[in-house]
Amino acid sequence: MYEMAQKALSLAMKNGADEAEVYYTNSRSTSANIRKDLVEGAKEQFSEGIGIRAIIGGAVGFASTNMPNRLEDAVKIAVDSARVRESDPDWTGLPSNAKYPNISGIFDKKIVEMELDECIELALQMIEGARSTTDILATSGSFSRSYGKHLILNSNGVEVEEEGTSTSGFIDVITTKGETSTAYDFAVSRNHDIDFYQIGVNAAELAQESQNGISIEPHKTDVILHPFAFSDIIESAFAPSIDADNMQKGRSSLIGRLGDEIAASELTIIDDGLIPGGIETGISDDEGVPSQRTPVIENGVFKSYLYDSYTAGKDGVKSTGNAARQSYVSTPSVGLRNFIIEYPQSDIISGTDGGVFVNTVIGAHTANAISGDFSVEARNAYTIKNGQIDKPIKSLMISGNIFEMLANITGAGMDVRKVGGTVTPSIRVSDMSVIG
Amino acid sequence: MHNVDFFDSRIIEGTATSIILDNGKIEEISVNYTRGVGVRALCGGSWGFTSADGDFDLQKAIRSAFELAKGMDSKTPQEKVELFPTSTPVLKGIPDIKIDPKNIPIEEKVQLLKDIGAHAKIDGVSSTTAVYSESSMKVQYSNSEDVECEYELMRTGFAISAVASLNGVYQAGRESRFGVCGYELFDKHDAFALAKSAGKTAVELLGAKQAKGGNMPVILDPELAGVFAHEAVGHASEADLVLEGSSVLENKIGEQIASPLVSVIDDPTLHEYGYYPFDAEGVQSTKTTIIKNGMMESYLHSRETAARLGGIPGHSRAQGYSMPIVRMSNTYIDNGNSKFEEMLEDIGDGIYLIGSRGGQVNTGEGVFQFNAEKGYLIENGELTTLLRDVSLSGNTLEILKNVNMVGNDLTMHSGRCGKNGQTAPVTDGSPHISITKALVGGA
Repeated sequence: MYEMAQKALSLAMKNGADEAEVYYTNSRSTSANIRKDLVEGAKEQFSEGIGIRAIIGGAVGFASTNMPNRLEDAVKIAVDSARVRESDPDWTGLPSNAKYPNISGIFDKKIVEMELDECIELALQMIEGARSTTDILATSGSFSRSYGKHLILNSNGVEVEEEGTSTSGFIDVITTKGETSTAYDFAVSRNHDIDFYQIGVNAAELAQESQNGISIEPHKTDVILHPFAFSDIIESAFAPSIDADNMQKGRSSLIGRLGDEIAASELTIIDDGLIPGGIETGISDDEGVPSQRTPVIENGVFKSYLYDSYTAGKDGVKSTGNAARQSYVSTPSVGLRNFIIEYPQSDIISGTDGGVFVNTVIGAHTANAISGDFSVEARNAYTIKNGQIDKPIKSLMISGNIFEMLANITGAGMDVRKVGGTVTPSIRVSDMSVIG
Repeated sequence: MHNVDFFDSRIIEGTATSIILDNGKIEEISVNYTRGVGVRALCGGSWGFTSADGDFDLQKAIRSAFELAKGMDSKTPQEKVELFPTSTPVLKGIPDIKIDPKNIPIEEKVQLLKDIGAHAKIDGVSSTTAVYSESSMKVQYSNSEDVECEYELMRTGFAISAVASLNGVYQAGRESRFGVCGYELFDKHDAFALAKSAGKTAVELLGAKQAKGGNMPVILDPELAGVFAHEAVGHASEADLVLEGSSVLENKIGEQIASPLVSVIDDPTLHEYGYYPFDAEGVQSTKTTIIKNGMMESYLHSRETAARLGGIPGHSRAQGYSMPIVRMSNTYIDNGNSKFEEMLEDIGDGIYLIGSRGGQVNTGEGVFQFNAEKGYLIENGELTTLLRDVSLSGNTLEILKNVNMVGNDLTMHSGRCGKNGQTAPVTDGSPHISITKALVGGA
């Protein structure tokens, strides 16, 4: 279908579109799945398809297909849909051709050339890592590698073609002796550099150390959130507020707050599509706008919303290169690139007299995306006493508001991790409500 | 094509249309034509699976699945997988489409959606979104045991959400209805009244109080109780999770695990959003009683898990042409005898939790957490103060035992369920249920 992309673009223009865009993707991924300490299945997925945006008078129509014989129908219906819609005065246009940055570390030939045997071997390494702790069962998990290529063409001369690779490992474990306790660990990388054995070790140790949890009384205390827990909360409770689309529609608590101090004065958060080897790194975003580095919070001060080209046009600013697509079947919308959390680092556990350490949370996606209120179940949580991890906690809910939380950050650990696109150390927050 | 024990293929072809309305303006009209195949091959105890898009070469996809299965079997041989025997399904009772949405002009759908959005924008509502979706799908199944079958299904639905704001406080109200039907969905459900209700919820919640957390007696409305039935009980009864050691219901068959008032059923034959005539393994769908009068009766099975644990298959599902996994369909707590008023009187003081903003569950440990859309304080058997940001969390088995009244007003709610990265249309349902003690989380 690659060859048909150019044809689809000119067909859309011929059918009467003012502007048109074709987004083509082609990917191949292989995964080996773990169940009950065994590698039990392998999957291969071949995916290819085209999405077409047609614009008439600022109204956008969209259609997609993976069937070459339906491509003409798809182009036609995209143009027809644009005609049905009222024109949108806020539409300023698809991006134009631009100078693209140099980026690195997103393609690793070793991942493309991996044979099935090696995929199975890497999944086995995670199981072996889990077995390094006694009485642990790897309930589920997976190894995967993928290769993907995309092409973005539009009638303003954008022609971006990029390819990338990634590999990932995930394992979920449960204790088989004594009190039941679970834990997981995972890693994602663009390169073949993950220590899969260590993923198993981490999950198993965490599950074992979480056994025989104690109950604690509801109170307010210092809470240290592991990168897994912190990224989960920040992506669900904070990211929606900086999305320019939400802001323009009145669905953000940060409307009119540019330049205000909204977080602890040493906190800096940067959205960056350029970092070497980043999960969200690429020369452009998903509509062909060059990637860039955008400070969102700088020393506690709110600096920028995140924009795709539509929302940027509406505000009369430049796109920040944050157009993202789930796949060729969807239109772009504002999404995070690599999201980097910076705060002066120290050995935070030893600097904490009393409090709680939380490894992961469940239910972060239920946060109120507008108000930033959240209430989550903390998993693999521990009490901290005199600068040391003390006892596991059986059951714990933590609740709060993301903006209060950002203002109450008092420390960050040395343990920076790439949790998907979010890059963060453990973060300490004072005065959080915990309910045991 | 030698040396594998079993293979099957599912070819899916469909068209999906969605319209998104944002603050009265069309935000998106999107149409997708899709076709693809998912092939499974079993060699000894190893499954290989290949999926391919568009103009695929079926023989090539089958060969790829074969190679994966054989590769796995030689590298990590495992205990042979047996499949529960099955035969070609008999197709009966497939829902009739009364009004084919394809015959309704797009302009008319756009207008209807605009009217729905307008009804949600009552005084105090600052923004609204509304979504319309329709999809038609043809499924062709065949396997190496000479089973061949196919069906076509139409799904239609809409969702509306309203946001109200005051002094920096934002609250949302949502309603949605999806079904295995055509455009007659809008005859069955009063979309305008539902839109108004979503708006009303958002505005009311602005004035709601925050709940004080703690252990207390609660009443769950049918929607939240349905979410509990699905998330806490349904997922834990999926036999693949049981075999993984990830279910608190492992080894519980035949045991009294819940109050005798509680029966939980999963029924894919109901003409609700989770309906299917045969599952992703070509097995005829049947009703499964998971819990009967408090006793754990059955897990939900695929052919593999049914053969391994003993049970009836028919609960294998897949998103499009993905790898089939054990899934729910239409899951509900069956009707009891109590009236809502009797529950209020019985409970005295407690909290009435209404609706759901989603939830999550750890099936291995049997703990869950759901956020309610709203709640009311119950004082002396009366609903008094409106509450927001209330959540329910606890231990599945404890909650099941603590149910002391089950209502007679079973109501189903359609939605989508995610598992292993695949989503599936489902419904959850329940009557009102009353629980003697549960952990309520507040602000």
